[in-house]
Amino acid sequence: MIRAALTVAAKDLRLFVRDKVALLMSFALPIVLATVFGAAMGSVFGGGDANRIELLFEDLDGSPASKALLVELQAQKALQVEVRADVRSRVERGSAPAAILVPAGFGEDVAAGRKPRLVLYRDPGKEIEQQILAGNLVPVLMRATGPAVAKEMMKRGMEAMGFPAGMREMAESMFDAQPKAHDGAAATNSKNPFDFDGEGASALGLQVEDVAGGSNSSQKSAGGSHAIAGIAVMMLLFGLTACGGTILEEEESGTLQRVRLTPNAGASILVGKMLFTVAVGLSQLVLLFVYGGLVFGVPVLAEPLALFVHSVAVACAAAGFGLCLAVLCRTRKQLEGLSTLLILTMSALGGSWFPLAIVPEWFRTIGHFTLNAWAMDGYQGILWYGKGLSGIALDVLVLLAIAVATGWFAWAGWKRRFERTD
Amino acid sequence: MPPMDSDSAIEIRDLVKSFGAARAVAGLSLTVRRGESLGFLGPNGAGKTTTIRILSTLMAPTSGSVSVLGLDPVRGSAELRGRIGVVPQEIALYDGLTARENLEFFGRMHGLDRARLQESVGRALDEAGLADRAGDRVETYSGGMKRRLNIVAALLHAPELVFLDEPTVGIDPQSRNHVFELVDRLRAAGTTLVYTTHQLGEVERLCDRIVILDRGRTIAEGSFEGLRRRVGGARGGRGRLEVGARADEALAALRAAGIEARFDEELPDLEQVFLTLTGHALRDEADG
Repeated sequence: MIRAALTVAAKDLRLFVRDKVALLMSFALPIVLATVFGAAMGSVFGGGDANRIELLFEDLDGSPASKALLVELQAQKALQVEVRADVRSRVERGSAPAAILVPAGFGEDVAAGRKPRLVLYRDPGKEIEQQILAGNLVPVLMRATGPAVAKEMMKRGMEAMGFPAGMREMAESMFDAQPKAHDGAAATNSKNPFDFDGEGASALGLQVEDVAGGSNSSQKSAGGSHAIAGIAVMMLLFGLTACGGTILEEEESGTLQRVRLTPNAGASILVGKMLFTVAVGLSQLVLLFVYGGLVFGVPVLAEPLALFVHSVAVACAAAGFGLCLAVLCRTRKQLEGLSTLLILTMSALGGSWFPLAIVPEWFRTIGHFTLNAWAMDGYQGILWYGKGLSGIALDVLVLLAIAVATGWFAWAGWKRRFERTD
Repeated sequence: MPPMDSDSAIEIRDLVKSFGAARAVAGLSLTVRRGESLGFLGPNGAGKTTTIRILSTLMAPTSGSVSVLGLDPVRGSAELRGRIGVVPQEIALYDGLTARENLEFFGRMHGLDRARLQESVGRALDEAGLADRAGDRVETYSGGMKRRLNIVAALLHAPELVFLDEPTVGIDPQSRNHVFELVDRLRAAGTTLVYTTHQLGEVERLCDRIVILDRGRTIAEGSFEGLRRRVGGARGGRGRLEVGARADEALAALRAAGIEARFDEELPDLEQVFLTLTGHALRDEADG
């Protein structure tokens, strides 16, 4: 019995080792995906500037105090501070997750010991970034706005948490005795959640405005938009690669040769496949967005023209990709293995699974070599930031360029494989 | 290539097709007359499939000259494809489509207009004996039904020349008989046929002339009778004498004249027995 079992196992092992697709799926795919996820979470390559959150800074005051605030913010390792004008609209358009506006008179307030006024513009769709940002902003603002504000904030916090009066007084006296004890308390690289929606913001003199997302600025809507767009793009790639795979299916069954023996064959076969694939892709996208609109409240009707044009571009790019793979692979099994590896990797790199806003800059750059990233940028632009056709023109153009390039490769591969008679 | 004889459907001169160092076709020369039914025979690897791929525009020769219906299959491929029909060995149909949808698709790809398409599809369904199952998906068909549909799908555009590559593989005698009748009708209509098979009895039944290929060359060519005499003659005299019911008297007379003779009663072959017992009508239940 044991001998027979070993014989069966040895046979299966031999078949497995000879099956390149099975090897790819079993060993290469997990390593690739683990690498992508590890990199996304900043746990490889020594950390470096992983997960630095972009914060825009606009100084309408120009005082020594506002400049000192900028220096303090720039010293935060978790923040990537950029000085820009018109920061509100930039956050509104999705260029950055948040921005600080220093209004005129900030320096005078600090000098006079008054609670200064600052404005924090936020994109509520980028929830993770907001938490990291808050954790880093608190100590900086406490330092920059003076001990009186920090003391006031501590006092309000203790009151809110129900500390007895005696304990609060003791804490205040300790604060007065060691005015620097709070420095760094929130840790320079802190990523602890902190909620600006409560008393904290007011105590720090922050006026918080959520400026992105329009009337749909709920987390459900933001999450829904990303989830629906991410899944739509990934499943589109799988679906359209399968459509492209009908070329191989027809080659195996002999129908492709039969069609090639008709006078109107040639390019019409590939063009017909492309049309079919794009049509299936568009239908798939329509279905998912209707579902997203009904179930998650994704605002699919906010910019219908932009959504349609972008979806056509996405479907064309994905169809080109699918056909390209289909003519490169010799068998359907090969196609299944290679497409799974490529699509899962592209989806992870391109932001179909998690927002690219939370990953390091170099990861975002690599991600934009995939069509997923451009598709996701466009969808997020339309569904979350309410961008119209002009706002997503670059995404559409890049996707159409991908469609042309992959379509050309597919045609070249087709001619080499099916049109050559030598 | 010299000008083709207007009576020729196919003219091949010194055809060579190499794949690397291997020569699939090694200097083949052949002429097929218009309206002729040619049996194209040979063992596996003899070069039959390669030759047919060249003749049907799917492959270019390495050297030599080929003319099909007066056209060069490489340079005139688009026109030639509209004038030839190829019945592939495999069932090259879309299982998820009905018989009618399959035929309409291939007809449209051949550029048939609406009226001619409807007429051709209707005729093809009748010829395949599938008119009453035209709306059923091909995946529900028996092997014989698929084979018959596979054949008529290549005839929708009324080709002048048809290549049939083992068109009866894996079907029952009734369907095979139906295919024979279909081929007979093509012959009667003057269509040139090139018929490839390993079922030699089919060639004997359906072909005017036979070409036997081996290792990429013609090793024998002629009518069935001619080839039989050539091989039979080398083995000594065997013949057939029709004597009616008086076989015993005829045998005695021959022996009395010093002629060595033997009486073998002619019995039906197994296919004849089978068809007599089960009938000639098509059996179109799905395989199982």
